[in-house]
Amino acid sequence: MLLEATDGEETAVFKAAAASVQVLVEPVGRWFEAYIRRRNRNVSASFQELEEEEESSEESEDEELQLEEHPMLRTLDPKDWKNQDHYAVLGLPHLRYKATQKQIKAAHKAIVLKHHPDKRKAAGEQIVEGDNDYFTCITKAIEILSDPVKRRAFDSVDPTFDNSVPSKSEGKENFFDVFAPVFERNARWSSKKHRPSLGTMDSTFEDVDNFYSFWYNFDSWREFSYLDEEEKEKAECRDERRWIEKQNRASRAQRKKEEMNRIRTLVDTAYSCDPRIKKFKEEEKARKEAEKKAKAEAKKKEQEEKERARQAELDAVRLAKEKEEEEARQVALQAKKEKDIQKKAIKKERQKLRTTCKNWNYFADNEADGVKMMEEVEKLCDRLELTSLQSLNEILASASKEDSKAAVEKQVEEVNAQLQREREAEVQARQAARSAEQASGGGGGGKGWNEDDLQLLIKAVNLFPAGTNARWEVIANYMNVHSTSGMKRTAKDVINKAKNLQKLDPLQKDEINRKAYEKFKKEHTSVPPSIDNALPSERFDASGGEGNAGPWTTEEQKLLEQALKTYPVSTAERWEKIAAAVPGRNKKDCMKRYKELVEMVKAKKAAQEQVAAKNKK
Amino acid sequence: MFSSMSAIGIHFGYTCACVAVFKDGRADVVANDAGDRVTPAVVGYRDTEQIVGIAAKQGQVRNAANTVVKVKQVLGRRFDDPVTQTHKAETKCQVVSREHMPYYEITCGEHAQFVAPGDVAKLIFKKMKETAQSALGSDVTDTVITVPFEFAHAQKHALRDAAEAAGFHVLRMIHEPAAALLAYDVGQDCSSGNSHVLVYKLGGTSLSVTVLQINGGMMRVVSTSTDHSIGGERFTQALAQHLASEFKRSFKHDVSSNPRALLKLMNSADMAKHSLSSLGSANCFVDSLHDGIDFECAVSRARFELLCSTLFNKSIQPIRSLLDEAGLSARDINKVVLCGGSSRIPRLQQMIREMFPDVELLNSSPPDEVIAVGAAIEAGLLVGRDGLAPEEESVAVDVSAADILLKEVNDSGAETFSILLPVGTPLPARRHHTLSAEGKLSSLCLEIYQRLVTEQPEILSKIILRDLQPSEENHSIDAVVTMKRDGSVHVSCAAQKNGKSEAVTIPAAS
Repeated sequence: MLLEATDGEETAVFKAAAASVQVLVEPVGRWFEAYIRRRNRNVSASFQELEEEEESSEESEDEELQLEEHPMLRTLDPKDWKNQDHYAVLGLPHLRYKATQKQIKAAHKAIVLKHHPDKRKAAGEQIVEGDNDYFTCITKAIEILSDPVKRRAFDSVDPTFDNSVPSKSEGKENFFDVFAPVFERNARWSSKKHRPSLGTMDSTFEDVDNFYSFWYNFDSWREFSYLDEEEKEKAECRDERRWIEKQNRASRAQRKKEEMNRIRTLVDTAYSCDPRIKKFKEEEKARKEAEKKAKAEAKKKEQEEKERARQAELDAVRLAKEKEEEEARQVALQAKKEKDIQKKAIKKERQKLRTTCKNWNYFADNEADGVKMMEEVEKLCDRLELTSLQSLNEILASASKEDSKAAVEKQVEEVNAQLQREREAEVQARQAARSAEQASGGGGGGKGWNEDDLQLLIKAVNLFPAGTNARWEVIANYMNVHSTSGMKRTAKDVINKAKNLQKLDPLQKDEINRKAYEKFKKEHTSVPPSIDNALPSERFDASGGEGNAGPWTTEEQKLLEQALKTYPVSTAERWEKIAAAVPGRNKKDCMKRYKELVEMVKAKKAAQEQVAAKNKK
Repeated sequence: MFSSMSAIGIHFGYTCACVAVFKDGRADVVANDAGDRVTPAVVGYRDTEQIVGIAAKQGQVRNAANTVVKVKQVLGRRFDDPVTQTHKAETKCQVVSREHMPYYEITCGEHAQFVAPGDVAKLIFKKMKETAQSALGSDVTDTVITVPFEFAHAQKHALRDAAEAAGFHVLRMIHEPAAALLAYDVGQDCSSGNSHVLVYKLGGTSLSVTVLQINGGMMRVVSTSTDHSIGGERFTQALAQHLASEFKRSFKHDVSSNPRALLKLMNSADMAKHSLSSLGSANCFVDSLHDGIDFECAVSRARFELLCSTLFNKSIQPIRSLLDEAGLSARDINKVVLCGGSSRIPRLQQMIREMFPDVELLNSSPPDEVIAVGAAIEAGLLVGRDGLAPEEESVAVDVSAADILLKEVNDSGAETFSILLPVGTPLPARRHHTLSAEGKLSSLCLEIYQRLVTEQPEILSKIILRDLQPSEENHSIDAVVTMKRDGSVHVSCAAQKNGKSEAVTIPAAS
């Protein structure tokens, strides 16, 4: 509870307050940050003081508000309120859409104070009763302007707004002077706060681009509900209201479209007239041209470079080739020359030798010796090298007949010896090759196989045909028991030999067989020879019996067999036909072969029977 | 620019570091890759890598010579500083002097290397940065770092350098107690009038008690005291000693000569201590403690409190001496904020509660995270603004030097003084009061007094309001008291009923 003041007391200050002190505070927290901000802005007062200052400044603005009274205010017809200028009615024709809500309110207050019917009545003025008084216009004006939606509608159709769009010809002349104010005034419809300015001739491309993209995407808040012909509120029923609404919507849309077209035309015109756009286009074109040119040049240069490189490479290759060829030619020429020289020399030497020998009458006394010597000399001429020929000729030229003869004979001997050596070497090589072949065939690794053993092997192989259990061991055992050579053979040896035999050419095999047969005949004349079929895998076909005109080949054998079957015994002139079917063989051959075959088959059968009989025993 | 809109706060302590992220108007502590919200400030050096955090702490048993702990103690100190010498004596890691600055000698790898404490701190900061980045999913550089109040300029500078080396942009370095107050939003809800808050921080290795005065949202440290001889580790040590004696009693082995066994016991005791804050008893189990013997022992909370009772008393004692020093009584404290991991201990909380029976004890958020959260809140305030230069971070503010009082009478007719503008209010300031007077009076008198600390009030001015219409209802008077920076006071008052007003300006003494 406050104290009561006593009489005579006045508001007074007795003492100065203590001065502030400075203390260190922790630099944390919102309050501290706020303090720092204030200090940095160098604001001496607290927030509240600041606010007060702002308020007072606004008030002073209000005081400055100048009202221009409408000259025809008193004569306005309240019924025609739609066509009146509400800003003019309130005395704000100079501010219009820029007037703040506060200014409008203040203006309204001022005008009401002056024109209110009550006031005028008090001043002794005649008042028209009801809504017909011009004061209704003021009411209507404030009603429209205080409501943001209605005010916007009115602003949209502001009668003082210049809707005109400059023509192209106008714009061409003085682009910036003509278009700047047009854009300026149309920018007021933008719903975006930030409106780029038209700029100057020196504006950058970005600025100009920004400007035109803003205007091409212009978002206008202008709407035309104020011009609605019918009023929705006047409708008497819902259907009518709907109809009115539809009508209004259609007309609004139409007007909006027109407005957008207007803006579009404006921007299009400006764009086409804008000297900067032209400039940018030209610059762009020039730049592209330059780029293109540079590119083409670079390409050309590159191609040339490539071509040159390729040419240089080709030249180098060609040169190298030419040089090589030239060298080769030179070498060849040289070689040929040398060869020719040598040839000539050798020819000459030979001739010399011959003549010398002839001169010496071939060192012979009689004709025969001379011929033989001539032969030998020819041989010498053929075989001897240039140097030895030369040396021989030298000897012959310088020496006596006897010496020469000795020398020639010595040479002849040497040559003959050489020839002999060569021949022996050849024979040896051939033998070596043959033995190598035999060795590779695995011919028992040096274990001698004599005729008896071979015969025994063939017999054993036939005795124990393929499929016998442990065939090769059995054969080896049999061989060991029956052999006369007393050699021990293993299954492996036997197998190798048998394989070898199989590989032998038919002639060789036949030789073996013949030898065996002869031997057999010597020993057992009564027993028919067991020939052929030495190896089970070759059977009859491989026997390859020989005629007088060489052995029959398998091919011929087959043809013969075929022919024999085709032409049975009853066929007339059978053998002629068979011979015709077997090319390279005559009738006689065929008949002979047939006989042989028949004999062979017979012999084989006999042998088989014999073996069977033996086995039975 | 967007990435800079998130900011983090880091509390870099002696034993542990904690990072909080300010995002979407909230500050939250971020768990590290091991899932812990607090990362031990331990760096282990190996042949090829450096390990930060819990892995390094656990690896300490095997790699004690190459594991750096409590790096903050030597950060920014010279080698001959007594604190550095103490640190050198305590740590297992070799500390050497190079150009009068301490360096750690790390002997892993082929060559011994010398590592500056700043580099160790940098590794820890990097770890914190990675942790924050993994939570935010984007790079973050803006940070607020907390420092103990007693940190000297060189130490602050070293800490800032380490953070900047780790890639941070340090928005500001703030004191730990202030950060704790920010986390609890203290001071910003009582902008009218003075209040005193006590911040009790008991960390791993140090105890600090700070009294702050809050006026108009501004915080001012009244007095503070720090004791480096008490902390969570001492409690752990006490418990470990008890465990060692238990081991000796049951197995007849003395582990005091076995450093690895002692470290194992310390780790085990640490875990037991943590669980004793929430449970009545805890089990210690150490595999192969000594001579291949497994050790198991149960400790009850009562046993722990008994073991540490002298330590607890020692932890509480500084509060009393601090209050005495500041000339305040326990009643002058409006709030007590607990922070530091060891203030979790129930017995300590109980003791503090007993000391301040009527005071709100703020311990709702985990005490080891509070400071980081406060730092993150500050970072959220600062991010995107122009920062202060580092040397500007202690800012002097004009405050009122005296209480501005109004003399009134109470119901029984005795004269009383009510405070219009309290002492210590940051200036300029404006206070709005609605005063009431008996309706039958037709004239009123507002007597404005000022009272300097502990002195009698002296009258400054009188404001007389006359011609009031007496009525049944009480008069209501709007009074606005404005004080400018120099201390001059402007008082204006107006009767609500008839708008009668009076104003007076009291100049400031020069």
